[in-house]
Amino acid sequence: MRSTFFNPFRSRLSWACVLLGALLMALVAPTGTAHGDGSNELVVIVNRQNATTVVSKEFVRQAFLKQVTRWQDDESIRPADLFAKSATRRQFSEQVLGRSVEAVKSYWQQRVFSGRDIPPPEFATESAVVEYVQQHPGAIGYVSKGVELSTTKVVSVR
Amino acid sequence: MARGVFGRRAPCVLWAAVLVCLGWAVPGQAQTFALDRVVDIHGFVSQGFLKSTNNNYLAKSKDGSFEFTEVGLNVTKSVSDQLRVGVQLFSRDLGPIGNYRPQVDWFYLDYRFWDWLGVRAGRTKLPFGLLNEVNDIDAARVPALLPQSIYPAESRDYLLAQTGLELYGYVPLGAPGSLEYRMYGGTIFIDFSSNPAVKNASVPYVVGGRLMWLTPVDALQMGGSVQALKLEGTIALSPEQTAFYEARGSLPQGFAGTVTLSMPVVLWVASAEYAPGNLYLAAEYSRWHTMGRTSPEVLTREERQQVSERFYVMGSYRVNSWFTPGVYYSALFPRVRDRSGSDGHQHDIAVTLRYDLATNWLLKTEFHALSGTAAVSAALNPDIPRWRLSRNWGLLVIKTTAHF
Repeated sequence: MRSTFFNPFRSRLSWACVLLGALLMALVAPTGTAHGDGSNELVVIVNRQNATTVVSKEFVRQAFLKQVTRWQDDESIRPADLFAKSATRRQFSEQVLGRSVEAVKSYWQQRVFSGRDIPPPEFATESAVVEYVQQHPGAIGYVSKGVELSTTKVVSVR
Repeated sequence: MARGVFGRRAPCVLWAAVLVCLGWAVPGQAQTFALDRVVDIHGFVSQGFLKSTNNNYLAKSKDGSFEFTEVGLNVTKSVSDQLRVGVQLFSRDLGPIGNYRPQVDWFYLDYRFWDWLGVRAGRTKLPFGLLNEVNDIDAARVPALLPQSIYPAESRDYLLAQTGLELYGYVPLGAPGSLEYRMYGGTIFIDFSSNPAVKNASVPYVVGGRLMWLTPVDALQMGGSVQALKLEGTIALSPEQTAFYEARGSLPQGFAGTVTLSMPVVLWVASAEYAPGNLYLAAEYSRWHTMGRTSPEVLTREERQQVSERFYVMGSYRVNSWFTPGVYYSALFPRVRDRSGSDGHQHDIAVTLRYDLATNWLLKTEFHALSGTAAVSAALNPDIPRWRLSRNWGLLVIKTTAHF
């Protein structure tokens, strides 16, 4: 029997595609992390009625991806996100969720258009996140450390 | 049911609905178009172009074809913290398939008892492999065409959704990571109206499931999916087929021109995905087993039992917020026992350049170098037997998508 495996490499077009792909990867890969970080210290906040004082980074990640939906007291978790272009959101996304904002948006597109779930609400300002967390007992959000937080509770993330 | 729901005015109704919602959504923020989250409305419009050398693929692509359109619009409402309902209308055109006929892509009511147990009833997308659920969601992936060995665009109606029940859950395991499972059972409605040779076709059952292990290694998940279904129907043989079976003595005296078909099918796929930061790597290996029987029996033992082999490896890297190149190699062997001949295999090397032109608008250009014709439609290349089609050929795909 005549072997047919990997016949694409007999074609010039195949080689051209492979070389083009490799070249593009090589050219662009070194610039991939050049997002600029603008790091501020982040804090994770919850409603003042919430008894939780410490959460794991893994729990926060699962809560914002809606993989877990309940607090220990059975209250529904209501994550509150910042708008996609927010530097605070980018920092939270990369440091806590472990993926870029674009990757998170892609995750939610998959969920939304396959009928699996809908993303957390997005807010235009950090003070709006604070207000949402203040108003909803199961809410969890993140903001920069300088924001007025007296109406919510800061939890430590380990 | 996945049939036209608005009759002949369907395309106008769907397009009008999409345009109205696009009009609403533009001033608002991406992702969230809601009346204080009372309802969520999302949608997408995709238009593609296919141009191939030598062989027609998916459409009349040798001459260049714009018959590559997808439109979707969905509405989701959280009735309570645990109960959610949703519906998506979808319409597409891909060569001879779709023809802009709207269908209810999915609809469900979803009740989540606990994180580890939820139930969904309705028409739900089939969790097969990593990407089956985003087969028609251009914005949610890098390639314009997913690896066609495992996610054939022409078989979307068979593989995309089932009507019945689904159980799902997420189980944190602590140090070993977590498990995500889905199990389902129901039926699939397949529209054979474009194929007059097939009569009374039905899928009495489809059952299956997917188990994914989200490993402790950040962004690495592995798992497997299995799906079993049975296809039944009556097929009218063409004069050529009748002559062929007569010549080898398969047909009884007084043959009426039709055969009944009963075909159990079992598909499985093993999957691995690693997506740290802006890098995305995935690989899947799959085998599909079909066991067809006809009455009168016209198939040989070898023809009755077919096993196909399918796999791909894929990688992409998000360079910045607007540019993501990707590449994959995909292979299909429709008959594992006989891979000879150009119709016994199809290798596909694809290079994609994805440009996110704006927050909700993207453009993809994709180059395919292919060898073999196993997945090339005979109907799109009617003048040449599949085994005589060009062995090495190329495909260019350009696609743009807007979504909200």
